[in-house]
Amino acid sequence: MNCFMFPGQPLAHDATLPGNADFSELAALTRAHTGLDLSAFTWGAGTHSEQVALQVYGVAVSLYRHRCLRLEGMKPAVAAEHSMGVYAALAACGSICEGEALELAFRVGACMERRFRGRDYALGCLVGVTAEKLAVLAAEGAVFLANHNTSHHFLLSGGRREMEATLGRALASGAFSAKIFPCDAPLHTPLMAEAEGELAAIFSDYRYREPACPLMNHIDQEFLTSAEIPAFLMRELTETVQWDATYRALKRFGATRFVELGAGDSLKKYNRWIESRL
Amino acid sequence: MSEELIPKVKQMIIDSLRIEGMSPDEIETDAPLFGEGLGLDSIDALQLVVAMEKDFGVVVPDAATGTKVFASVRSMADYIAEHKK
Repeated sequence: MNCFMFPGQPLAHDATLPGNADFSELAALTRAHTGLDLSAFTWGAGTHSEQVALQVYGVAVSLYRHRCLRLEGMKPAVAAEHSMGVYAALAACGSICEGEALELAFRVGACMERRFRGRDYALGCLVGVTAEKLAVLAAEGAVFLANHNTSHHFLLSGGRREMEATLGRALASGAFSAKIFPCDAPLHTPLMAEAEGELAAIFSDYRYREPACPLMNHIDQEFLTSAEIPAFLMRELTETVQWDATYRALKRFGATRFVELGAGDSLKKYNRWIESRL
Repeated sequence: MSEELIPKVKQMIIDSLRIEGMSPDEIETDAPLFGEGLGLDSIDALQLVVAMEKDFGVVVPDAATGTKVFASVRSMADYIAEHKK
């Protein structure tokens, strides 16, 4: 049973893009719906942060991979999404069209950029600590658990100064790796509630069709219905991504082949780790 | 001693990281494992830490040691030769 997995925002963009007609069509769609020129990685009109560009780029790459697999005749029996990978997943499941997925990623990214401008937030990627130790570190450091990817791979979200201190303490107490990344907003934390009104207004602008294949949400591993999608899109920005639990639930559902549609292969690597501990 | 370990380390990398379609001979002994070369990342590194402990009984205790150990296949083999019980 095939499972299509849609990852969240990549940390960097690939300088070499596919040169075929399908990608050119998606690049034109991206430009039309967001203003981002994928080949130059610049904005046509207005200026937005690199984070917004990466969010849009991530969706475009996922949509392109989906087109490629569709051409090969591969179809998913179930789909799953991680963080902002949800927009491409919704398009792949037929709930929204490709242009709407790109536009949603752009509008959400631009909203977060505008709403939290002037404040210094960061993401912290922590590898090699247990969930118990992580919980203590996060509580003491006043940062939040943004992604629970595996038993030993986590993403924290919060203020930059707090993040630097927390990652320093994590390394001192035996973490294998701790890296800090810039972000526009405190993604996957309750702090996002500040932008809830604007974001909810964006999500209510679209009409969501029933997913054509089961789409598992990454918070409580339920399958999304069209009526639940707008609320989930808001909720997923304020709550922890539970990838470890999602992968296990997909296995229980019967998924046997996992295909990652996006930039990089982090979900595949998380799955490999989870599998090695089963 | 560490020269003899090099093919075993390469096989361990392939097995633990489930690299498909690659034989041990295709992994360069002195090429960087991270960034360039095999393009590994911190997720892979932790998987290698666990594999080294399981296959060779060798512990990589912290991030600073890991950075040196996982520089290349040769540095991994040297570390294993030095610390194997």
